[in-house]
Amino acid sequence: MSAFDEFDQERQAIDSLLLQGYTVTGIFEDLDGAKVRFIRREPAGEPIELLLLTADARKHVTTLIFGGSKPAAPIETHT
Amino acid sequence: MADLSIDFAGIKSPNPFWLASAPPTNTGYQVQRAFEAGWGGAVWKTLGEPVINTSSRFAAVHFGGQRVAGFNNIELITDRPLEVNLKEIYETKKRFPNNTIIASLMVEPKQEKWHEIVKRVEAVGVDGLELNFGCPHGMAERGMGAASGQQPDLVQAQTTWVKEVATTPVIVKLTPNITDITVVARHAVKGGADAISLINTINSLAGVDIHSWNTIPNVGGQGAHGGYCGPAVKPIALSMVAECARDRAVDVPISGIGGISTWQDVVEFMLMGSTGIQVCTAVMHHGFRIVEEMIDGLNNYLDEKGLASVMELIGKSVPKYSNWGDLDLNYKVVARINEDNCINCNKCHIACEDASHQCIDMLTNAEGKAILQVREEDCVGCNLCSIVCPADGAIDMVALDSGAAPMTWNQRNQVISGLNGSYSEVEVG
Repeated sequence: MSAFDEFDQERQAIDSLLLQGYTVTGIFEDLDGAKVRFIRREPAGEPIELLLLTADARKHVTTLIFGGSKPAAPIETHT
Repeated sequence: MADLSIDFAGIKSPNPFWLASAPPTNTGYQVQRAFEAGWGGAVWKTLGEPVINTSSRFAAVHFGGQRVAGFNNIELITDRPLEVNLKEIYETKKRFPNNTIIASLMVEPKQEKWHEIVKRVEAVGVDGLELNFGCPHGMAERGMGAASGQQPDLVQAQTTWVKEVATTPVIVKLTPNITDITVVARHAVKGGADAISLINTINSLAGVDIHSWNTIPNVGGQGAHGGYCGPAVKPIALSMVAECARDRAVDVPISGIGGISTWQDVVEFMLMGSTGIQVCTAVMHHGFRIVEEMIDGLNNYLDEKGLASVMELIGKSVPKYSNWGDLDLNYKVVARINEDNCINCNKCHIACEDASHQCIDMLTNAEGKAILQVREEDCVGCNLCSIVCPADGAIDMVALDSGAAPMTWNQRNQVISGLNGSYSEVEVG
């Protein structure tokens, strides 16, 4: 799998949770990557934790928080 | 035609091109020939108690067909008595009153030694003093040069002693053989330095002869470390100049030194905060007359840029030089291969496959021609392919709009700290 495909899978997982109403409540980084904790209040759901491995996905989730934006449309590539 | 004259810490010079303290400024004969050629100033070869030099002093590193990519020397300061040098400085200044003569000085770190040499040198009419706290070889073994320059408190103390008696501007020349050059620069400023100059030479051993097993150079079969300079050190020098230029505590003019060979190098050093520059190795390689091309090139450049004075260049790139943690992680460039210019040597493919992110494919187009193509979504924008590409215009690095807001590593860490520390939910999505 290409690096982009690995990232894209993780990005879709993040964006999917956000679109379902989950919010990010914590990001914990260690040698294995970033554990991102999501919770949803309405309707209430069990906390979900994603382990992000790719650098671009770890960047993506923090960019969303930093920018306070919604998940962007998939990046168009030129190939 | 633009005004090339500079005001360096109160020292007026007809242009920013000065010769560094080194073999080309050993005598009045040489410095006068340099001024005739067009050099604006010269830092006289370091004065102090005259030394005895070895025979076999220089060595060079030739690389990829370029002679003298790097230059190594084990020559020390002047081997001529002070009065001989002073007489020639006086005569040179009298003949070239509009050119700048700086006396480079090196004595033991004792107050009375500094007072004595400063008074004697200033009496012949030099325009300024440069304290040599940089030479890494020979003199350092005697507690001078880099040995002094590696101790910030000693730099400060000696600068203070000089300033106690000096009537001309005092430039402190810094050694690069230290972890953080700004620490020493700050101490020079605390000691009262009017300016700093950097870099002096870098500790080096030019090579070892694999047949005789002697060092290069060697003195009868024995070698010692020397000082490295020339084009190979320019990036190191430029970085150190930049670090000093952006340090608010180092609020004095900078004379940039290190591998400067062309007018373009001069522009780079001035953009990165140098008010003037000094040259040595390029003159040792090509002679004094290289300054003619440097003057013409700088003049034309300033005219093209619409600048009236070379002083307008100083420090313009400093705000663009920052910490890694302040760079935008969402900025993205990718490689694009221009088939019209590509010679299909495959260097980019090999470099990307073996040393980067395996995103350049070897394909065949509809006409059956072999082509190289970048998978842009996998390209990290490392630049390696464009660096190794031998064909001009074959690979462009193109900035893409990722659509994401700029975010630095430091901002990212703040986001994560805030998120984890507050236990509050950040609404995203």
